[in-house]
Amino acid sequence: MVEKILEEIKASLVTAGLHEASYAQNGYHLSLELQTGNITDGAKLFMANAFYLEDLFCVDYIDYLELVYFFNSYKELYRVKVTLKVDADKPVAPTISHIYTMARWYEREIHEFFGVYFDGHPNLTYLFLHDGIDHYPLRKKRVPVPDEDKKLLNSFKPREEDDCFFVNLGPQHPSTHGVLRVVVKMDGEYIISAEPVLGYLHRMHEKMAENRSYLQFLPNPARIDYPGALLLNLAHVATVEKLCSIEVPERAHYVRTITCELNRIASHLLWFGAFPADLGALTPFMYAFDDREQILDILEDVTGSRLTYCYFRFGGLYNDIDDTFIDKTKNFIKRMRERFSMYDKLITGNVIFVNRAEGTGIFKQDEAIKYGCTGPFIRSTGIPYDIRKAEPYAVYDQVDFDIPTGTIGDNMDRYRVRMAEMEMSLRIIEQAIAKLPTGPFKAEKVPKKLKPPKGDIYFAVESSRGEAGVYVVSDESDTPYRMRWRVPSFSNLMTFPSLAEGNLIADAIATLGSYDIVVPEIDR
Amino acid sequence: MMQNINNIIELVGWEAIKLIIGLIGVLVVVVVNALVLTWAERKVSGHMQRRIGPKEVGPYGLLQPIADTLKLIAKELLTPQNVEKPLYFLAPVIVFIPVMVSFVVIPFDAYLQVKDINVGILVILAFSSLSVLSILLAGWGSNNKYSLIGSVRSVAQNIAYEIPLLLALLSVVIMANSLSLKDIVESQKGLWNIFVQPIAFLVFFIAGVAETNRTPFDLPEAESELVAGFHTEYSGMRFALFFLAEYTNMFIICAITTTFFLGGYQGPILPGFVWFFGKTYLLVFVILWFRWTFPRVRFDQLLNLSWKLLIPVSLVNLIVTGGILKL
Repeated sequence: MVEKILEEIKASLVTAGLHEASYAQNGYHLSLELQTGNITDGAKLFMANAFYLEDLFCVDYIDYLELVYFFNSYKELYRVKVTLKVDADKPVAPTISHIYTMARWYEREIHEFFGVYFDGHPNLTYLFLHDGIDHYPLRKKRVPVPDEDKKLLNSFKPREEDDCFFVNLGPQHPSTHGVLRVVVKMDGEYIISAEPVLGYLHRMHEKMAENRSYLQFLPNPARIDYPGALLLNLAHVATVEKLCSIEVPERAHYVRTITCELNRIASHLLWFGAFPADLGALTPFMYAFDDREQILDILEDVTGSRLTYCYFRFGGLYNDIDDTFIDKTKNFIKRMRERFSMYDKLITGNVIFVNRAEGTGIFKQDEAIKYGCTGPFIRSTGIPYDIRKAEPYAVYDQVDFDIPTGTIGDNMDRYRVRMAEMEMSLRIIEQAIAKLPTGPFKAEKVPKKLKPPKGDIYFAVESSRGEAGVYVVSDESDTPYRMRWRVPSFSNLMTFPSLAEGNLIADAIATLGSYDIVVPEIDR
Repeated sequence: MMQNINNIIELVGWEAIKLIIGLIGVLVVVVVNALVLTWAERKVSGHMQRRIGPKEVGPYGLLQPIADTLKLIAKELLTPQNVEKPLYFLAPVIVFIPVMVSFVVIPFDAYLQVKDINVGILVILAFSSLSVLSILLAGWGSNNKYSLIGSVRSVAQNIAYEIPLLLALLSVVIMANSLSLKDIVESQKGLWNIFVQPIAFLVFFIAGVAETNRTPFDLPEAESELVAGFHTEYSGMRFALFFLAEYTNMFIICAITTTFFLGGYQGPILPGFVWFFGKTYLLVFVILWFRWTFPRVRFDQLLNLSWKLLIPVSLVNLIVTGGILKL
C-alpha cells in the first residue's frame, strides 16, 4: 500500500517537495510540500486510499504561514505530513472540508487563531473564541482582526422556522458532562439538526506552551484531559524525550505502562458511571466511583495527586514505586475482576438498558476516515486501530493484549468495547508487574534547561478516548516554537450532528454520553 | 356544653362532621406519608448505592424530612419573568386536589374509611386523571421548552396508561360485583385477588408506576434530558407541592393495589390498618427499588409497552374473566 500511494503521489502531484522522513526521528514517514492549487487533489488522493485526516493546523513562520495536514491510515501505519505555504499578509487557502468533513472544524480553528481564509468553507464562524478577541491569538506578531472578518466570524445565528424550535442543551445541563453546548433544532421529540458550540472552557494551552519552557509546561497536559491525566502527561514527556534523544531506563517504561493503564481504567470507570446516568440509572455511578476511588488511592501514593497527575519527568519518573504499590495494584486487579462479572449481570443483563443502547447512535465504519475518529469510538465499529498496537510506545510491544472491537458501532458496542478494554488493561498491568525490572527509575544527566535541536516531531499515545498526539516545532530555544495538541474527543464529537439528526432527543443524549467526551480536552 | 354540640350536629348533620374529621385525618396522613417517604427514599437510595443516606438530623436521620421541609418553606418563591402567571400559580394547587379526594374512599381498616361511596373506584380514577391537567398547566405556564416537552410527554403517557389501569381494575370489579372499595376488600376473604388475577395485578402495577411518573417511566421529569421536566421553573414551596403530590400519588397507587389485589386490611392477628399500611409500604418499597435500579425507557418504548402489550393483555384478561364468571 505504501508503494502504491507513493507512486500515485509522484504521478499526479508536483513532486518537488517530496521527502522521505525518518520515522524514528520525526514521527512521520513522508513529508510532502504542496502548492495552493493541488491541495484539493492531494486530499482526494488520500481519501481514495482510505487515509484519515489525523490533524490539520497552522504554524506561523512570520514570513509565511504553513498549513500542516497529517494523514494516516487505520490499516497500516504510514503517516504523511503535507504542508502548504500561504502568504502571511493575505492568507487564503482552498478548503478540503468537502472531502474530509472533519476539516470543517480544523479550518474554523485555524481561521480564528491565524486569520487564514478558507475558500469554499461553508461556515467560518467562531469555534472557540468570541468577539472580544481583537487579534489572531496564535500569530507570532500582533495581527488585528479586520472588521469584515469579524463580521464573518460572528455570523452564526440559529433561525427559528415554522414547525420547529431550538433547545440549548448546555452549557449548563445535566447531561453534557461539562460545559458543552449543543444547539438542537427540534420537531417535537425529534431532532432536525444539532450543532455543537465549543469554547466555554478554552484556555489556549497551545499558546501557553509557546511561552514557557518544556519543563514548565509539564503540569498542563493533565488539565487538558483530566480523567486521563497520566496518558497526556506521557504524551508530552515522551515527545520531548524523543526530540532531545533522552534515553529512558527500562524500569521507568514499565512503571509508565502500569500507571497509564490504571489511569485508563479510572477514566473508563468514570464513563461507565456517567453513561447509565444519561439513560436514567443513577446507581451504577456510585459503584463505578467506588472502584475508581481505589485507583485514585493507589496512584496518590506514588504521584502525590488524585486527579491532575504530573508524575512523569523527562527521562523517567518523579519517584519510584514500591512493594505497597504493587500489592495494592494486585489486590485491585482481583477485586476488579469480581466487580466486572457483577456489572455484567446488573447492567449488561438489564433489558431496559439493552433496549435503550442497542441499535441507537449507529456510526458506520466507512464514515470514520472522513472524521478521523479514533479510540474506542471507532473500535466499536470494527476497525481494530489502537496506537498501542500500531506504533507501540513505553512497553506495549512487550506485553500481550488484544484490541476489543465491536461490530455495528451502536451505543451498546461502545459500551462493550470499553468494558472489554478495562479488562484488557488489567491484563496489561498484570504482565507488566510480572516483568517489572529493577534498576534506576530515571535517566541521569538530563539537563535542567532543555534545548532541543532544530526540527519538528509528531508523537501520539492512545489516551482513553483515542489518539492524543503532540506536534512540536523546535527552534533550538528552551521553549517550543509551536506546540500542537491533537485531541481525540474533538474529532469524535464532530460526528455527533450526523448521529443525532432524525433521532429522538433521548437517544441523542444517550449517544452523546457514549462518546466519553471531555470538554476541557476539546476546548484545550 | 353537650347541648351545644348536639345543636351543631343537628344543624350541619352528623355526616358532615364525620367528613370534616375525616378530611383532617386525610391531611395528616398525606403529610406524614410524604415525610416518611422522603426519608425512606433517601435511605433506600443510599443503601442501594453503597452509601448510608441521611444520618445527622435525628436518630437514623429521621428528622431529615422536617429539616428539608423547613428549608423549602423558608426559601424565596422565585417567579421567572415571562411565565403565564395565573397558570403558573394555579398548577401546584390543582395538583393537590385530586390527591386529597382519592383518600376519602380508601378503606384503611374495616371501619376506618372517610366515606364508602358505592362508585368509589370511579371517584379515584376520575380524580387521578385530573393530576395530568396540573402538569400540563405547569408545563405550559412555565414558558420553558423543557417544561413544555415534559408536560406534553406526561399527557401522552397518562392517556396511554389510564386504559390498561382501568381494564385491569374492571376484571376485579366484575368478580366482586361492586364498585365500592369496601365490598371489593370483603370479597377477597380467604383468597386474595393477586392469586386469582395475577395478570391484572401486574398490568395494574406497571400502569400505576407509569401514572405516577416514577422510574423507569419518569419521562416527564427525565433529568438527563429535560433537566427537571415540568417543574424546572418551580422552587421553594411550589416545588414542594409537586413533590408532595408525587409521593402521595405513589401511596395512592400502592393503596389501591393493596385494596384490589392484596386483600386490603385483611390479615390475621394484627389490626387491619397495620396490615393495610404494611402491604402498601411494601409496594412503595418496590417502586423505590425500581427507581434506583432501572434506567429510563424511551418515549416510543413507553407508548409501545402500553398500546401493544398492556392494553391487549388486560383486554384478553377481562374477556376471559367475564367468560369464566358467566359459565
